[in-house]
Amino acid sequence: MLHFLDGLRNVTILSTFFRLMLACVIGGFLGLERSYNNKPAGFRTHILVCLGGCVASMTGLYLYLVAGLATDMSRIGANVISGLGFIGAGTIFVTHKKTIKGLTTAAGLWTAGIIGLAVGAGFYEGAFLGMILVLLTETVFTRLRDLIQHTPPSTLAVSYTRREELDIIVNHLRHENCKITNLKVAGNTNAQTALYNALITLQPNAEMDFTDICRDLEQIDGVVSAEIL
Amino acid sequence: MSYLRQFNFLSVCLRMILAMCAGGIIGFGRTRKKKTAGLRTYMLTGIGASLAIMISLYEYEMMTNGLWAPIVEEIGMKYDVSRFAAQVISGAGFLAAGSIIAIEHQQVEGLTTATGLFASVCMGLAAGAGFYECVLITCVLIILVLNVFQPLERMYKRHARNIDLIVEFESVENIQQITELLNEKNASIYDIDIERTTRSGEHYPAAIFSMKMSKGKMSHANMISSIAELDCVYSVEELIA
Repeated sequence: MLHFLDGLRNVTILSTFFRLMLACVIGGFLGLERSYNNKPAGFRTHILVCLGGCVASMTGLYLYLVAGLATDMSRIGANVISGLGFIGAGTIFVTHKKTIKGLTTAAGLWTAGIIGLAVGAGFYEGAFLGMILVLLTETVFTRLRDLIQHTPPSTLAVSYTRREELDIIVNHLRHENCKITNLKVAGNTNAQTALYNALITLQPNAEMDFTDICRDLEQIDGVVSAEIL
Repeated sequence: MSYLRQFNFLSVCLRMILAMCAGGIIGFGRTRKKKTAGLRTYMLTGIGASLAIMISLYEYEMMTNGLWAPIVEEIGMKYDVSRFAAQVISGAGFLAAGSIIAIEHQQVEGLTTATGLFASVCMGLAAGAGFYECVLITCVLIILVLNVFQPLERMYKRHARNIDLIVEFESVENIQQITELLNEKNASIYDIDIERTTRSGEHYPAAIFSMKMSKGKMSHANMISSIAELDCVYSVEELIA
């Protein structure tokens, strides 16, 4: 370990002060990026979590090293991780479109707490390295993520006039080697048009051209329209 | 190699970067599929898990060879290196549970994402402990399970004999019609769950049919379209568990 920091590894007034300050600074750096992107857990939340972890860790150290009690000094700090899992789970929410948001924020809070634990234990190398890697993840790899593209499954909306058409449509698609992963049929709610609608979700492979498929479908008797959603 | 298994600055750097990269490789595959837990989530949890174990290794190192050794001689060694790791697993379970959602009609989503995150955190623990062989093998296996096995699973599901359909129809008497059609198609129904759905302000009866199709050539899509042919049926949808 880096020996120039050895003066700060014991539990003294100076090292306590230093560790608390450092926890605030590191938490601030970690929260800065989240605040910049207007996420719910921002600047102050990360500082508080980091500070809490630091104090918990230091308390464990104090009980053993200074107070001289025969206790496991890591017990208090370890349960911080468990507790932050709870808080993190509360940060995650489900939108009305039934998707999950907030998972990266929760993981970031969790990691910030663990970095706070490291600072409190006096493990400055690990804490600093962790902070650098987390900041790297949040900034550099966000760009990388945006570059990753992949085609999701496509959904076709097909309208047809007679109920029996659906079977013909499905068989046609299967002949074209299209993998149907989901099929939802809705009856005609509009009595005037007397049309049936089906939403067909297809898993694309490389050679598939959806406009061609739609055109083929529209040529079937009884199919009014086929379009990509 | 044994140098890297000891606790020194180089091995600390290596382990944390290894945990981040291993998490990153797995997250890369998940992001490509536009899953909730993406690249950054896996990397962050990997960093956190490896750091947690390294804190306990650090404290142990200080107590045996470092500054706190004299105090240990006085009071006696009372330290459990695995305590941090145990709580990491607990905490990771909670985080992963947050990404599981239950949506309408008894469907659960996000389970694979959650368990993938959990397995990735455990892999981060191994990285922090210096168990490099395990990390490499586990990384390969997780990638295999998450990416390679999915087409297999999808193929199985497409040909699965068990199928759950939610059918909206005109009135409760139509259930008999539907069940007759299903029996004609050689499907044995083992559960019917009747509920009421609301559409355009009115209440329509609906039922969830859980059934097992016989060893025929009937695909799920064919089954759905044959039910949709009935006059009394408003809509049919397959519930994908």
